[in-house]
Amino acid sequence: MTQPMSQRLLGVFPIIVFACLFAYLGVQSTTFLSLDTLELITKQAVPTVIVSLGLATVVIAGGDDVVAGGIDLSIPATAIICAAIIADQLTNQGASLPFAMILAFGAAAIIGAINAFLVVGLRMTPLLATLSMSVAIVGITKVITSSRRIGVTDETIVFIRDGTIFGIAASVVMTTVLVLVFYHALHRTRWGMNMQATGGSRDAAEISGILTRRFVVQSFLIAAFAGWIASVFVLARGSGSSPGTEENMLLEMVLATFLGAAFSPRRVVTLWGAVLGAVVVSALSVGFISIGVNVFWTGCIKGALILLVVASASVTTKGRS
Amino acid sequence: MTDTLLKMCDITKSFPGVLALDAVDLEVERGEIHGLVGENGAGKSTIIKVLAGVYKADGGSVDIDGETLADVTPRSVHDAGVRFIHQELHLVQHFTVTESVFMGQEEQTLLGLSARAMRAKAEAFFETALGTQLSGKTLIRDLGIAERKLVQIARALIDAKAKLVVFDEPTAPLTSGETDKLFAAIRKLKEQGIAMIYVSHYLAEITDICDRVTVLRNGQNAGRFDDVFDNSAPAMISAMVGREIDELFPTTEHSAAAPRLEIQSLCADAFNDVSLTVHRHEIVGIAGLVGSGREDLIDTIYGLKAPSSGTLKIDGIAQRFRAPSEAVAAGIALVPRDRRHDGLVLDMSVSDNVNLAALDSVSRWTLENRRASHAVATEMSETLDIRPRNIAATARLLSGGNQQKVVLGRWLNKGADIFILDEPTVGVDVGAKVEIYQHIENLAKDGVSVLVSSSDPGELIGLCDRILVMLRGKIVAEVSTTDLGVDTLVALTTGGAVQEVAV
Repeated sequence: MTQPMSQRLLGVFPIIVFACLFAYLGVQSTTFLSLDTLELITKQAVPTVIVSLGLATVVIAGGDDVVAGGIDLSIPATAIICAAIIADQLTNQGASLPFAMILAFGAAAIIGAINAFLVVGLRMTPLLATLSMSVAIVGITKVITSSRRIGVTDETIVFIRDGTIFGIAASVVMTTVLVLVFYHALHRTRWGMNMQATGGSRDAAEISGILTRRFVVQSFLIAAFAGWIASVFVLARGSGSSPGTEENMLLEMVLATFLGAAFSPRRVVTLWGAVLGAVVVSALSVGFISIGVNVFWTGCIKGALILLVVASASVTTKGRS
Repeated sequence: MTDTLLKMCDITKSFPGVLALDAVDLEVERGEIHGLVGENGAGKSTIIKVLAGVYKADGGSVDIDGETLADVTPRSVHDAGVRFIHQELHLVQHFTVTESVFMGQEEQTLLGLSARAMRAKAEAFFETALGTQLSGKTLIRDLGIAERKLVQIARALIDAKAKLVVFDEPTAPLTSGETDKLFAAIRKLKEQGIAMIYVSHYLAEITDICDRVTVLRNGQNAGRFDDVFDNSAPAMISAMVGREIDELFPTTEHSAAAPRLEIQSLCADAFNDVSLTVHRHEIVGIAGLVGSGREDLIDTIYGLKAPSSGTLKIDGIAQRFRAPSEAVAAGIALVPRDRRHDGLVLDMSVSDNVNLAALDSVSRWTLENRRASHAVATEMSETLDIRPRNIAATARLLSGGNQQKVVLGRWLNKGADIFILDEPTVGVDVGAKVEIYQHIENLAKDGVSVLVSSSDPGELIGLCDRILVMLRGKIVAEVSTTDLGVDTLVALTTGGAVQEVAV
């Protein structure tokens, strides 16, 4: 019953490709392999790590079939609209940060609830439901910001951007704590195991008395929550809200989460995998810039990498059944 | 041992148009393995589902441990200590053994899951309760089927509250070596005083493992065996069958000529070393339970699945089909078991369905000549008596029997000379059955070679010249249908026959 050698090789194939890419970057750029670069990479990775936590949760609860399983493409859009609301409140309306955050939380909660209703209530394909939601949310964001950049100078946001805790960048420390909380909930509690069972086999979970619909609903709510948290770090990274940030984040989120499956020993989407994937993807972006690759080519390469990762995942699953 | 644990009395259940259970009694004593046997449709699964609380009985009572259950629901039955081991495994491939055993009943403290404690418990359970060793860290996908079955059993029993365990066809996907492993575990459970209901088609297993056996036939009790011996199978079969072959079948008036389809030592995952020959003018049957490899053999002959070794010849020429279209080109026609999904395009008209495989003959320069195709469909509809006689009707709206005739018509139209029929009369009413049998007989008379795979022993005996019996992936017998009784065939398919019957 163990997988044949060729299957195993196929599963780690993306890792090999990424390892080669990094080796190439290390040789090409003298500054790439240094502590400063590492700090830059982790700081840049923060928003992607957080939205990937959300996507990983949805995939864990919904199953890793890209079409029929769980997926939420609206998380970056959620992060962007929350960032826009907070920036608009702080800069244009003169509101306090807690008030702006609560307002944004309300928006995220509504998005999560609509996603859950579309997927669980109306039984829509998650891919289509959340893609449409993403487009709609980006539209509303443009209405709020008139498609303009809104700068933010709030002290807390600036601290998250520049501050340090025990000598480590504040945003990285905060994100690490968040990752640990997510990890504990999903991998170390009964609730998390039941959520994993729901995604692993809906029938098996139902038979074991698990209320699977409830877990799928919760996963979309958690995804929206992750989008809300990510918005603060998006604001910090960009010193405000700027239009169009969601596109790149969507690309990186999907790449990171499914690349994570290649890192996990069981070849399934996990939280650790998603986090590691997000850092790897961020490292690539930084690396490409450091050796002066044209920005337009970066998108092309990332797209090709997504294809590679998803294709190798679907080929290995096929071989398994 | 007269300590009754489960007492189901006068259980009646009807579905629209069918009386599935008619005052059925089932009694199980503490610590016994109680077999439940019957043909397909005898009511075995219905009574199990009544016990599980899935179906609500129209009448009758269920007593467990001397107490009548007021309301039979999945919850109340579970609380009373009844566990079900379903035929399907329902496991998550990428979970570990421990995670699977504790799925839905994980143990945790304030600090999170007690992973180590659960693993120790699971491994101890496999050792003491099931008499086997299994690491709690192994992934399900790295286990064999028998071990997965044990994981499924452990999940049902780990809370140590089970009094009665119902096994539904537990050995269907297992090889005989794996079956022994499962039986060792079941016997071990019996030593611990747990009662079991064992539902199976394999009579050899029933006589091997069961203490008592209840036989059902057509939704009624057809006997109970309080002492089961190795040679009890024939008596059980007569209780199960209890009928003669109906007069549905046309008399066979053809004699086999030159061989047409020859298969030699064909092997695949689900079957091993299968050889068979179908001659011109001959109808050959394949009998076997679900899981005997019968369905996979048909799929392989038709090119849906690839064989791992062996040869297939048509008229002496070796063939290798990579896809069904190549089999069709070689003159093979398949009437599939699931006609609604694989046999018909349900939303197309009768005419379109009839012409689907032979569009070239009614087309010119790749354009379909509608008048020609309608003429073909009308003629076919006359020949086969497809009702309603409206070739523009959507196939979905036809009855099962008429849908099957449309599928037959397509291949008659195509002019195939080897017909493979898989469960040709499932869901077909008696009247249409007789007509379909007559058409099959006519095909053979015209020189076509016919291979029929069916789970209905009466149908095979009435229709075929010869029958090959498959059991656990092998052809175990080849019998002529002259003077063959249903009970003999059932004995062969269920492994209840001690000796193979010679041709």
